[in-house]
Amino acid sequence: MYKKSAIEIRDLFLSKKASSEEITKYFLNRISKADPKINAFLSIFEEKALVKARELDKKLKEKKPLGKLASIPLAIKDNIHIKGEKTTCASKYLSNYKALFNASIIDHLIDEDSIIIGKTNLDEFAMGSSNENSAFFSCKNPWDLNSVAGGSSGGSAAAVASRMTPLSFGSDTGGSIRYPAALNGIYGFKPTYGRVSRYGLVAFGSSLDQIGPLANSAKDIALSMEVISRPCNKDSTNFRLPEENYLHNIPKDFKKIKIGVPYHFLENLNKNTKNNFDRMVDDFKNLGAEIIDINLDILKYSIAIYYIIATAEASTNLARYDGIKYGERAKNTSSLEELYSLSREEGFGKEVKRRILLGTYVLSSGYQEAYYKKAQKVRTLIIQAFEKAFLNSDFILLPTNAKSAFKLGSISNPLDMYLEDLFTIPANLAALPAITIPYGFDNSKPLGVQLIAPQLMDVKLIQYTILFENLLKTNEKIAPLFDKEF
Amino acid sequence: MHSEYEAVIGLEIHTQLNTKSKLFSSAASRFGDEPNTNISEVCTAQPGSLPVINVEAIKKAILFGLAIDADISKLTTFDRKSYFYPDLPRGFQITQFYHPIIRNGKVTFKIDNYKKTVFIREAHLEDDTGMLKHFSTFTGIDLNRAGSPLLEIVTMPCIKTAKEASLYAMTIKLILQYLDISDCSMEEGSLRIDANVSVKKKHEKELRPKIEIKNLNSFNFLEHAIDIEIERQIKIYESNKNEDIRYLIKSSTYRYDSIKKDLFLMREKDSAEDYRYFPEPDLVPIVIKDADIEFIKKSLKELPHERYEKYIDKLKLNEDLASILVNDKKLSDYFEEALKDSLDPILLCNILTIEITGKLKETNKTITSIGIPHKNIASLVNMITTNEINKKIAKSVIDEMIKNPQKPPLEIVKENPLFKPLDDEEEIEKIVLSILSENSQSIEDFLNGKDKALGFLVGQVMKKTKGKASPEIVNKLILKKIKS
Repeated sequence: MYKKSAIEIRDLFLSKKASSEEITKYFLNRISKADPKINAFLSIFEEKALVKARELDKKLKEKKPLGKLASIPLAIKDNIHIKGEKTTCASKYLSNYKALFNASIIDHLIDEDSIIIGKTNLDEFAMGSSNENSAFFSCKNPWDLNSVAGGSSGGSAAAVASRMTPLSFGSDTGGSIRYPAALNGIYGFKPTYGRVSRYGLVAFGSSLDQIGPLANSAKDIALSMEVISRPCNKDSTNFRLPEENYLHNIPKDFKKIKIGVPYHFLENLNKNTKNNFDRMVDDFKNLGAEIIDINLDILKYSIAIYYIIATAEASTNLARYDGIKYGERAKNTSSLEELYSLSREEGFGKEVKRRILLGTYVLSSGYQEAYYKKAQKVRTLIIQAFEKAFLNSDFILLPTNAKSAFKLGSISNPLDMYLEDLFTIPANLAALPAITIPYGFDNSKPLGVQLIAPQLMDVKLIQYTILFENLLKTNEKIAPLFDKEF
Repeated sequence: MHSEYEAVIGLEIHTQLNTKSKLFSSAASRFGDEPNTNISEVCTAQPGSLPVINVEAIKKAILFGLAIDADISKLTTFDRKSYFYPDLPRGFQITQFYHPIIRNGKVTFKIDNYKKTVFIREAHLEDDTGMLKHFSTFTGIDLNRAGSPLLEIVTMPCIKTAKEASLYAMTIKLILQYLDISDCSMEEGSLRIDANVSVKKKHEKELRPKIEIKNLNSFNFLEHAIDIEIERQIKIYESNKNEDIRYLIKSSTYRYDSIKKDLFLMREKDSAEDYRYFPEPDLVPIVIKDADIEFIKKSLKELPHERYEKYIDKLKLNEDLASILVNDKKLSDYFEEALKDSLDPILLCNILTIEITGKLKETNKTITSIGIPHKNIASLVNMITTNEINKKIAKSVIDEMIKNPQKPPLEIVKENPLFKPLDDEEEIEKIVLSILSENSQSIEDFLNGKDKALGFLVGQVMKKTKGKASPEIVNKLILKKIKS
C-alpha cells in the first residue's frame, strides 16, 4: 500500500478493496515504526483519524456521497491551524499553543473526507532550509539518515518520501515546500501568491507565504490543489478565483511549448547538478518543447532582497509573541520590559532571533531607505524581468537544489544556509507558481528541477507536469530504507 | 498673551467610527460590555489570523471627506506601525501612514466677530488599542476596544488660539454627529483630542519646537491646556532671552490632569520614536472609484452649517437660538420633526430652546430623553398660534407635558378646567367691573395719565381669572369701561 499514490489509495477505498479503517491503521502503524528513524511528525491524531475512517466506512456502506479526498491520509505542517490541536511552529514559544480555529485549507480538506493523520516538523516559524532549526528535534532525510530533510517543510517532505503518508501540506516563503521536496525526491508545489488562502497559516513573510501540497505524484498535487485553492474571504490577498479543474484535459504533448532557461544565471552550477539539469532540458527537447535562452541575471540579487523583505515582515509578524496573551511567558520578571525581553529570549531560537533583529534593522528609520525600500524596488525589477521572460516562454526551468541533501550539522554559517534557497526564492518574490519535479540523483540522493509559470497559470503548469510524469516516469525509486513494509 | 507672540496649534482628533464590527475583524465594536467579550482571533492577535477591512468604515471615512470638502484618495493603503505595549496585541497598529484615505479638507466656523477656516491635512483610518485596567495586585487587559475603527483627523498647524482650537473641535464633533458616523462620546473615549502647541514671535516665519498634549477628552480641558501651555512657553522664552530658541522647548508629550487642572510631562522625545512604518502586506490596496464616491454622496445628510443657514435664511430664527439648536444634534433633529406639523417655526424654536430646555435644566433631562412626541409639541405650538390658549396657560401646559410626556396638550387642556381659556366676554366683563369697583384710585391715576395703572388693573383681572382670559380682551374691556 505504501507504494500507492493518494489517488490510488482513495480508489482502493471507493472500490471497497480496502476499508478506510484498514488504510488508516496501515499508515498509523507505518508511522509508529518508521517515524522514530526520521522525526517527521510532531503530533499524531491516531484516535481522531480512526473515528473519521470509521465514519467514512459507514458513509460508503450507506452509499452517501464522499469527498474528493475520501480516505486519503495526510499530514499538515505544524504552522497550519487545526482547531483544538497544537500549532507549535516547532517553537518553544508556542509549544503549548492550541489553535482556536481551522485554517481555511483544513476546512476544505475535512470537507473532502481526507484523514488528517498528524502534524509535521519544521524549522521554527518556517525559518530555515534544513529543519535543524526545529526547537524539538531535526527531521532526517529518508534517503540518508545522516542528512537533512531540508526545510522548512522538512517533516512534510520526509513523511511523504518515506511513504508514511501519500500527501502532505507545507508552506513556502522562499522555497520551504520545493527545497525539502527536492531533497526528498518528491513533488512540491508553491501556488501563485494569492491562490491558496493563508488564513490559519502562522505568518512568516506575509507577502511571500503560500500553502501548497507535497506528494509522490503530480496527479496528487493536482487533486489537492482543486481542494485547497477554494476562494476565501478571510484572507484579503486571496484572489477568490472560481474553481478550476486540474486533472482533466491533460495535454498530449509538449509541441508548441516554449521553455525558457536562464543559462547565464546557471553558469556556476556544480557539475553534477548541471549535468542533471541538462539531461532534463534534453528530455523536454525530445518531447517536442522548444528551449529558449532567457536573461534572468537579476536573480542574483534574490537572496539579498529576500532576506530583507521576509525578515522585515517577520519582525512585525512575530511581535505578537510578547509573553502577554499566550505562549511562553518568562517567570519572575520585575518589569514589563523584562517580561518582553525574557519571554522572547527564552521562547525563540537563534535563527528566529537573528531574523527578527535583521528585520527590525532594515525597517529602522535611517536604514529603511537603503534596505527595505530599495529591496522593494529590486523586487519590482525581478517581477518585470519574469514578465519579460514569459512574453516568449510558457515556462521557465530552474534547478530546485544546487546540491543534494547535506549532512546534518554540516552548515553552520547562516549565510551559507541562506544560499541554499537561491533557486527557489525568485518564484516567491515574483508571486509565481512553481513546482519541483523529482529528477535525478547526486551521490544517491535526490535532485529536483523546478518548472515555473506566469502568475495564475497554476493549472497549466501542473497539467504539463503531469504530462511529463506520464511520459518519462522519472524517479519512481523509493528511498531504499523505506521501500518495504514495516 | 504676550502681544509679540502668537501660538501655532495643530489638532489630531481621534474619533471612533460607529461601525457594527471592528475595523479588521467581525467582532462587535461596542462600548461597555463585560471585558474581553467582543473579541475575535484577529483583535486578540492569534497566530494565523488575518485582518479583513470593514467596508462600512471606508464608507464612513469617505462621508467625512465629502463633508469637509476634501480629496478622497483613489487608492488608499494601510501600514504597520510597530511598538510594544500590552494593549496592542499584534505588536503593531494598522494605520495609514503613506496613503491616507482623506486629504486636504477644510472647515469654517464663526468665532466672536470673524470666520475661521481650519485646513485639514488628512484623515486616516486605524485600529484602536485595548485598555489596561489596574488592580491592586495585577493589571488586566480588556481587548473589547482593540481593533475598533478610529478616524484620525489631522489639521495643518493653522490654529492660533485655544478658543479657535475648541471651536474647531466642536465643529468636527458636530459634523461627525450629523453624518452619524461616530457617537462622539467624549466620556467614553470615542472622541479624543491631541494638541500640538508651539509659540513664535509674530514676524517669525519658522516654527519653533512644539510639544504634544495627549488624550484631551473635553473642550474645556482642551482650551485650558492650550492656554497654560502657551503661557508656559512664552515665559520660558522671555526668561531665557539669551539662549538659542531651538533648544529651550524640548519636544515632548504632556498629559492634562483634569483634577489638578495642569499639564504633566509624560515623556521627552529625545530621539524621535521609531515606529518602523511599512506597508501592511496582509491588506491589498483599496481602489476607490468615482462611482463609489458618487454613490456614497447620496447618503450625505444635511450638515450643521447647512442647517444653520436654513434656520436663519428660511425660518428666520434668532441667530443665537438657531445656534443652540444646531449645536445640539438631538434637539435640532427634534425641532426638524416637530416642524413638520407646526404652524410657527419661531414659536416652536422658542418653546424648545427656552421654555422646555429652561425647565429641564435642573433635572439633567432633555426633551428627547423624556420622550414627548413631536406631534404634541407641534399641537401645543398650533394651539398658541390659533389663540386656543394664551402663552401663560401654555407654560402650565408645558409643565403638565413634562410630567406626563405621552399626554397630548389638547387632552391636558380639556381635562383641566383651569386651562380652559376664558373667552366669554360677558363673563370677563363681570370680573372687570368688580375689579374696577375695588380700585377707584387706579382709575383716577390712569385718567390722570399714569399708564402704569392700566397694567395694574389688567394684572388684577388676569389674576382673578387665573390667567385664563386673553389679556387683549381684558385690556379692551377695561379701556371701554373706564372711558364710558
